[in-house]
Amino acid sequence: MPGPYPGQVASVHAEKCIDVQTEKPDAAVVREMMARGMCALTGDKDARDAWARFIAPSDVVGIKVNCSGAPGIMSTPEVVAEIVRNLTVVGVKPDQIWIYERFKYQVDSVHYDRYVTKGVHIWTAETDRGETDGYDPSTYVETSFFDEEDTRSNLVRPVADRFTKIVNVPNMKDHGASGVTGCLKNIAYGSFSNVARSHSGTVTNTYSFIGTLAAVEPLRSRTVLQIMDGLRGVWHGGPFSPSRKFRFYPKRMLFGSDPVAVDRLLLDIIDDKRKAEHAISVWDRSPKYVNASGDHERNPNVNSFVREPGHIEYAAHLGLGVYELDKIKVASVEV
Amino acid sequence: MPALLLAVLLPGLYWDQPADTADRLRKAGIERLYVPAGREQAWRRLGFTATPFDRSRAAQAAAPKVEYHMDVASATRVPWVDANGWQFERAPGRAYFYDVPRGSAALAAAEAFAYGIEAAVRAVPEDLESFARMTKFLGAIDQPRLPVKANIGVIDDGSDLMGEVLNLMARHNLLFHVIPAPDTQYDLNIRLGAGAYSKEDAADPYAFAMQIRRQLTDEKRLLRIYGSNVVLARLTGDGAHARVHLLNYGNRPVKGLRVRLLGSYARAKLTAFEHESANLADYDVRDGATEFSIPETGAYAVVDLDKVGQALPPANPH
Repeated sequence: MPGPYPGQVASVHAEKCIDVQTEKPDAAVVREMMARGMCALTGDKDARDAWARFIAPSDVVGIKVNCSGAPGIMSTPEVVAEIVRNLTVVGVKPDQIWIYERFKYQVDSVHYDRYVTKGVHIWTAETDRGETDGYDPSTYVETSFFDEEDTRSNLVRPVADRFTKIVNVPNMKDHGASGVTGCLKNIAYGSFSNVARSHSGTVTNTYSFIGTLAAVEPLRSRTVLQIMDGLRGVWHGGPFSPSRKFRFYPKRMLFGSDPVAVDRLLLDIIDDKRKAEHAISVWDRSPKYVNASGDHERNPNVNSFVREPGHIEYAAHLGLGVYELDKIKVASVEV
Repeated sequence: MPALLLAVLLPGLYWDQPADTADRLRKAGIERLYVPAGREQAWRRLGFTATPFDRSRAAQAAAPKVEYHMDVASATRVPWVDANGWQFERAPGRAYFYDVPRGSAALAAAEAFAYGIEAAVRAVPEDLESFARMTKFLGAIDQPRLPVKANIGVIDDGSDLMGEVLNLMARHNLLFHVIPAPDTQYDLNIRLGAGAYSKEDAADPYAFAMQIRRQLTDEKRLLRIYGSNVVLARLTGDGAHARVHLLNYGNRPVKGLRVRLLGSYARAKLTAFEHESANLADYDVRDGATEFSIPETGAYAVVDLDKVGQALPPANPH
């Protein structure tokens, strides 16, 4: 990261990509969106050529899905299946493809196995929450936030020793601590253990911790492609989505190699929706709106933490991508 | 402290039931008992090794366990551990009596063994078999005691306030000796009311323990535990060997526990209760410290380390 296309994002909108009533995606439209998006990002005419810029047949590819809001919102199985299909088109064998996430109970609720080619692995770091044997003991970020006893966050083992490339598939979601959760949050907090320790009371250290984790090698260099799944979105209460009350339907996918640029666009997508719903901005840090009692789950004008949407700009300072809007080149596609 | 202490008496079952319960004990695998004074001969005639135990001279030990209060808001999400090690360090020569609910007897035996104290454990009938398995395990791993390792000296004024400080230090694996006077062999000497250690500060024992931790620094801690908030450790050792006792106070095994020990140890061996075939994983010696992982830690495990000998192979790739 930021890869070969810093400051460039392909934004693909398709009105028919999802049925808003049933929340059923249209796989054929998703296929078209992905092909057009990859071509718009790379300038290639053939989607296969576009994928081949990132992935070689010999690669072992991790697909970092996001299932923290499942089953209400997650990396849509039809999107993940289309990524798998494109990987196989460029020559990657199914058993070289690993869908991964931290928590088994979340992934189990999605049933990716019903959508992807047989032989594709579905791997989780923690069968029971808190298990650490799925993490590499020698690759970690060590820091103390709140005098916690365990001061390490360890990288998931397959990123450390198996994958040669990673495709990152976040959703378009609001996040109570980090403001929004996109490419950076998904690849960082979704690839390391013991990250909840960064929040306590109404204080969260996501401002610096997200970028710090995302910049750790080999995670940084192996994450070559960002595909933000915005068929559905969450405009408040994220990363969870227990009810449809705060879900919305951007019907959009963003493609890039630069996670900062993609997340910079996400900030405005979420904040614009919140404004439209007369909710306080993701940028609002006023103490009068902060209450950790749980009201934020019902009230979009209550924050559980002092939000840290500045984590995206911070990551730019670490060299992970381009933050300034006027320096981000967006290729818009309508399907 | 002598360099090598004799092996201590293993913890035993306290049994004040009548002799007609002998078959139940035999069936569970119990062979050794603590009994009220005057009953030992009757039990010996039945083939048991029976020792009289005077509860009135014994200190009460708490049932070792974790208190999970998920419904209570608190400054920390760390569960509360009921452990007795700090009391044992404070008064190591006393005998202790555990009266424990179901599920705690085996851990109580392991805790007493790890701290080398004389202890009688009254267990509910459902726990007799697990207690017997634990005491057999302890008997198999017993060896002459090495000196207790610690780099914090605490001058104990005997107050409840200091007791809470000791409790919180033990809770965070800040290894201490209770000493009569400051001693330069320790990296820190703690005396309430002296220097940076005011009684006012100690009124918040958690914050006080964290103050001690920061003053010592994590880099100087003799032992660190990663991957669990409910595993407490005791460390013994001399110049060439070390033994790490790991007590899991939680109600389920811990998978992937990581331990960091100051000092370079060429080889190590894991002996884990009810995980006989388990081996250490990801063994790593660097920068003056030794680290290893334990695939699954049940109620109790012991790791014996040697500074000399054939080095373990590098950490296994996964």
